[in-house]
Amino acid sequence: MRSVMRLFPGLTTYAVLYLVFLYLPVLLLPLFSFNDGTIVAFPIEGFTLKWYAQLAEASTMLQSLVNSLIVGSVTAVLATALGLFAARAYVRYRFRGREVSEGLVMLPLVIPGIIVASSMLVLFISVGLRPSLTTIILGHVFIALPFSVSIMKSAFDDFDQSLEEAAFDLGESVFGTFRRVTLPIVSPGIIASLLVTFTVSFDEFVLAFFLSGNQPTLPVYIWSQIRFPAKLPNTLALGSLLLLFSILLLLIAEYFRRRSVKAAA
Amino acid sequence: MRIKTDASKGMALSAPASLYVGLLVAAPLGILVVYSFWTQTYVDIDRTPTWVNYQEAFNDPLVRHLLIRSVAIAGCVTAATVALAYPIAYFIAFRTQKKTLWLLLITIPFWSSYLLRVFSWKLILGFNGVLNSALLTLGLISEPLTFLLYNEIAVVLTLAHAWAPFAILPIYVSLQKIDRSLLEAATDLGAGRLERFVRVTLPLTVPGIIAACLIIFIPTVGDYVTPSLVGGSDGKMIANLIQVQFGAANNWPLGATLSLIAMLSVGLVAIVFVFLVRSVGEKIR
Amino acid sequence: MSDQNIIELNGVEKRFGNFVAVSNLNLALKAGEFFSLLGPSGCGKTTALRMIAGFQEPEEGDISIDGQSMHDIPANKRPTNMVFQSYAIFPHLNVGDNVAFGLRKNGLNRQEANERVAEALEMVELGGLQARKADQLSGGQRQRVALARALVLRPKVLLLDEPLSALDKNLRESMQLELRRLQQSIGITFVMVTHDQYEAMTMSDRIGVMLNGRLEQVDKPEVLYARPCSREVASFIGGMNFLPAEKTGEDKDGLKVTAAGFGPLRIDVNPNVREHDSALLVGIRPEQLEIAAKEPDDYDATASGTVTDVAFYGESVHYYVKIDGVDAPIAVAVPNYFHTVDYRRGDAVWLGLQNASVIDLGKRTDTAAKT
Repeated sequence: MRSVMRLFPGLTTYAVLYLVFLYLPVLLLPLFSFNDGTIVAFPIEGFTLKWYAQLAEASTMLQSLVNSLIVGSVTAVLATALGLFAARAYVRYRFRGREVSEGLVMLPLVIPGIIVASSMLVLFISVGLRPSLTTIILGHVFIALPFSVSIMKSAFDDFDQSLEEAAFDLGESVFGTFRRVTLPIVSPGIIASLLVTFTVSFDEFVLAFFLSGNQPTLPVYIWSQIRFPAKLPNTLALGSLLLLFSILLLLIAEYFRRRSVKAAA
Repeated sequence: MRIKTDASKGMALSAPASLYVGLLVAAPLGILVVYSFWTQTYVDIDRTPTWVNYQEAFNDPLVRHLLIRSVAIAGCVTAATVALAYPIAYFIAFRTQKKTLWLLLITIPFWSSYLLRVFSWKLILGFNGVLNSALLTLGLISEPLTFLLYNEIAVVLTLAHAWAPFAILPIYVSLQKIDRSLLEAATDLGAGRLERFVRVTLPLTVPGIIAACLIIFIPTVGDYVTPSLVGGSDGKMIANLIQVQFGAANNWPLGATLSLIAMLSVGLVAIVFVFLVRSVGEKIR
Repeated sequence: MSDQNIIELNGVEKRFGNFVAVSNLNLALKAGEFFSLLGPSGCGKTTALRMIAGFQEPEEGDISIDGQSMHDIPANKRPTNMVFQSYAIFPHLNVGDNVAFGLRKNGLNRQEANERVAEALEMVELGGLQARKADQLSGGQRQRVALARALVLRPKVLLLDEPLSALDKNLRESMQLELRRLQQSIGITFVMVTHDQYEAMTMSDRIGVMLNGRLEQVDKPEVLYARPCSREVASFIGGMNFLPAEKTGEDKDGLKVTAAGFGPLRIDVNPNVREHDSALLVGIRPEQLEIAAKEPDDYDATASGTVTDVAFYGESVHYYVKIDGVDAPIAVAVPNYFHTVDYRRGDAVWLGLQNASVIDLGKRTDTAAKT
């Protein structure tokens, strides 16, 4: 089959080059964050950790980090809870409007960020909510929902319905069944969803920019720093850390997501 | 305690999520619509309904210009991203056994903040940036290239990078779904390699291509971050104008109007696109 | 098996939208019996079982268990326990915890619970496997764990939803006997749902045949086999040859009929049949026909014909013989005593039958001779 299929001979080379293209901007940040110089350009001037060290003293940055952590955690819990119940409904039951609901929940993925941001800002101001961490959380739950719903849907897809019926038949209450059977089996999926939604919120910029008022999140802080060339290396250091953190979280989430597919089988 | 019927249970469970999304889609849009009919001077909002904003928007050449440019840029980004993505998707589907590894490798770079990646491109493409300094150091050019940053080229390049996995994945999925025995049958009936690709593989991946195009095109028209950081004045898009209305210009009604016009334009183009692809597809058959 | 009714269904009806899954179901099950609900897929038998368990509520009618109406009682409070078709073994618990799952509510202390679990596992011949993980069990073991888990709660009624359909043939046959033995040693009522007629006949004290949402006949297996109440039930249980017949007379000993192909017969009236008429349908099972090269002497009726097909089943041989007056070929099953296949396609043969083997199937509603 291989010789018959060889239509494009240079495909492997293309694939490698494409990977380089993909990783270029991502690897750049850590590379120059260790550079002993303020200009992001070749040649590299020397290795240093001072930009990272300076981060520890940047109090505004630390405050925005705390804000991001708060917003991320609350978003993760809310989005995962909503997604958990919704996904169970979609996989388990047939009801009128199910497909509409499923499509609706995926909508936040395709609406342009600026539209979401501006329309939510207008909405919140109209009902008297000033921009604050709360408004950011409300916005982030909105865009995180598609992620938690898809992850929980795949966790429930492999979940045999008769397991819950069996527990019920053996005398458990509705809540007891949920606690003793459903939750343990989908818990890897729940963990994956928490991690993914946290990361989506943690990295998100446009909504946070519009909805943040006086308490910026980390990406908003980074945005404000971009204007200062002298601060560039610090921003690179921060960005590299953010990069590393996100990637780690999502690798762990992927591990749990795979375990959830195995656990329910 | 009576067991409720399946349907009511299902609706009850999914209601919070869909209500949340529904509200946050419907209510803001509703309010945007309402706002678009009001006017604002400095801090005062005049609530008498009026078409003034729409007139202003339609008559303003800048708005038209930006909208067309946004659609055009989004179109170029879509075309570039999909064209670049198809070969790699094909590679993963047909040429390697380590599919999971490649898919993971493809997605890892995008598990980072979008803002950071755009920022990175700014650093790469700049006059004193990474690319220029590398080329200079290597002696390949004698002067830095100026056409790389603060224009549409930078915007298209940055966004083609940013949307890569969103193009690769749908195309990969539709390539994977192709029943290998169809290709064997085509060979058996005498088709050569190129013919097999054009007449069997490509048509069967059209759903994946359409999905990729829509996923990329629709959000790109309204993108804000990339044109801000790397677009310069030549690369500004409609989102930048909208943001200004909510920010410095303090004209929220106009911002609302522009948002709605942008959304409708995107929707229209998307529908036309899908319609065209479908009817061309019928003719090819 | 006592004469007391442990389960009663009265006028039970279940609808899903416009589809009537179970229609006017009236059934009384005796305490201590092994009862099977038998029927093809979609006939409503599983729905009926789930209504007894409490997972579905009937639109009309009432279900009572041991004299108590189950009307507002949810599944987790009913004195029934179910073995699910997929077994539903909790994957995150080991065997012991699976079996002990329902015991939590009973207020037993740890030691009592462990004793009950050990006892249940011994009963299903899985003694000592408490620590085994769920994903390390074979199909047959999972089925026994599901049984032990249900039985440890000492329910009044055990419900089984196609319990053997996931097992391979040899295992299935040995499990049939084992389940039967288990039921008889414990003495509680078992209600089993199955589409396999042989399984139902092997294991049950009584069988209820359901077709299209209706309960057609309830009887002991041998009665069901010998005196099915209708053509549909007759063809669902075992093979059957149908012969159109005309009634020629009736007296205290039975019916006189003239059957197509075989001529005059004298048959007993089938008490289970609802209607008789001058146009009748009679049936004869393949294994009760004699096939011979020459007209056999000591048979009540004979017919001559030609062999159209031969099917070798190992333990038996089936011949399909076309006779005059009957459209469809007659199936004849001959035990493979001598490892020979005596007749080939195209051979001229004679068939013989005894009056006592012919089954009265009541009024004929169409002209086809065989399903």
